Amino acid sequence: MSTKKTIVLDDMILTKTMPTTAGSRMLEGYMSLFDAEAVTSLTEAGYEILGKAKCGEFAIDLVGESCYFGCELQDGHFVNDLCEKVKAGSIGVGLDVNGSIRRASAQAGLISIKPTYGTASRFGTVEVACSGETVSVVGSTADDCAEVLSVIAHHDTKDGTSLSSDLCDKVKVCAKKAKKVAILSSSLDGVDDEVRAKIDTFKAILEKNGVEVCVVDSDIFKFARPAWNILMCSELCNNVSRFDGVKYGYRSSNFTTIDELYTNSRTEAFGELLKSAILFGSDNLSTDNYDRAYDKALRVRRVIVEAFDRIFEDFDAVLCPACSKMAYTPEDIKNNKHLCFEENAYTAPASITGLPSVALAGVTLIGPAFSDGMLLDIARMYEEVCK
Amino acid sequence: MDYKELRLLEMLNQLSLSDAQKSEMLEFFEKRESDLAILNELDTESVERMVHVMPISTVVREDIASQPFDRDELQRGAPNAELGYWCVPRVVD
Repeated sequence: MSTKKTIVLDDMILTKTMPTTAGSRMLEGYMSLFDAEAVTSLTEAGYEILGKAKCGEFAIDLVGESCYFGCELQDGHFVNDLCEKVKAGSIGVGLDVNGSIRRASAQAGLISIKPTYGTASRFGTVEVACSGETVSVVGSTADDCAEVLSVIAHHDTKDGTSLSSDLCDKVKVCAKKAKKVAILSSSLDGVDDEVRAKIDTFKAILEKNGVEVCVVDSDIFKFARPAWNILMCSELCNNVSRFDGVKYGYRSSNFTTIDELYTNSRTEAFGELLKSAILFGSDNLSTDNYDRAYDKALRVRRVIVEAFDRIFEDFDAVLCPACSKMAYTPEDIKNNKHLCFEENAYTAPASITGLPSVALAGVTLIGPAFSDGMLLDIARMYEEVCK
Repeated sequence: MDYKELRLLEMLNQLSLSDAQKSEMLEFFEKRESDLAILNELDTESVERMVHVMPISTVVREDIASQPFDRDELQRGAPNAELGYWCVPRVVD
């Protein structure tokens, strides 16, 4: 009998035998013609795909609260469906677009890894923000994440952004032990006392394990969020333009002309958050704004990548909050429908740079490209203490 | 961003917002404009754009003819298809 854990996929991962909806009415009941590469790899490795978990519409929200098919509440706060299923004993695999998997796992007492961009094939995922989104793993332990990552990280000719086998293999091992970790001063802006305490706890555990932790001045967190919002929404705007009510997906019954078919189908099927992202993305790509917004964000991306490079000359990893608070309530969304464009301040640095990131216990760790194994090793220090 | 520009964006993206949604959208755009001001604190004139975060190259493959899906399979998810065609309202009178 196999001792392998079962896998639950979030609804951004295409499956041939189960519907894939991306949390949107637009894809209600949609059946893919093929499996995602991650699904094929895991099945071939002997894992049983137990089922799908709901996700926020096109995975751009906080923790899944914008899902058309509903979102669960526990004790008055939103809970992420993938994380709930991982708590029940499976390992989760999903698409991290705007940090929802990292936020949710860090809040739920789980651990997730967003691997180095290009090491886990994105073939067969619902495309949203292709230049930064990554197939990610959620588990109860770092070992769970490492185990599944070792299966899904490999070169795939079907994904044009897939890196070579040599590079993909690098994420499966811990090449070095972390000795110095940086906390970027700007990352602590806006976090509440509970999250600040999580950072302090993690820092203390690292220091107990002989890791030096220093606070470093850096503006990375100030610039990554606005730049990522521009890039993510611009790419999203293009990627969801394929959903027009003709070839597949939802079609409105209220139309007489082709333009009404397109407009009413998209208007009825897309949620408000997604519409905001589409319009913002479209505006960024307009003739008037291309240079001042989209082009600017691409240049800022390089500034951030180079800033991280400089930090990693002296430090092995960066420790920062995963979120500003440890739970989100319907009241939070009522007060700010677009909170995910603010709260992604803590996840955007890894998204925009493609750097690996491990999230747990209210914090995230970001490391140099291919340091995935080292980040999971740092996470084990925390797990040892909390056993 | 004003109502006129927003209406143009709606049309370009085949969306239609209610009046209440339009007001919220204008507020959203105002916040994003503040974000742009943050980015403008950085002088990036001499910085090269970064489209890909990893060193990737265009994949060149041999041309090999294949038929991975048949027409019926491809149209399985279509809201309205007949005789191998996707059905849409008449576009030419």
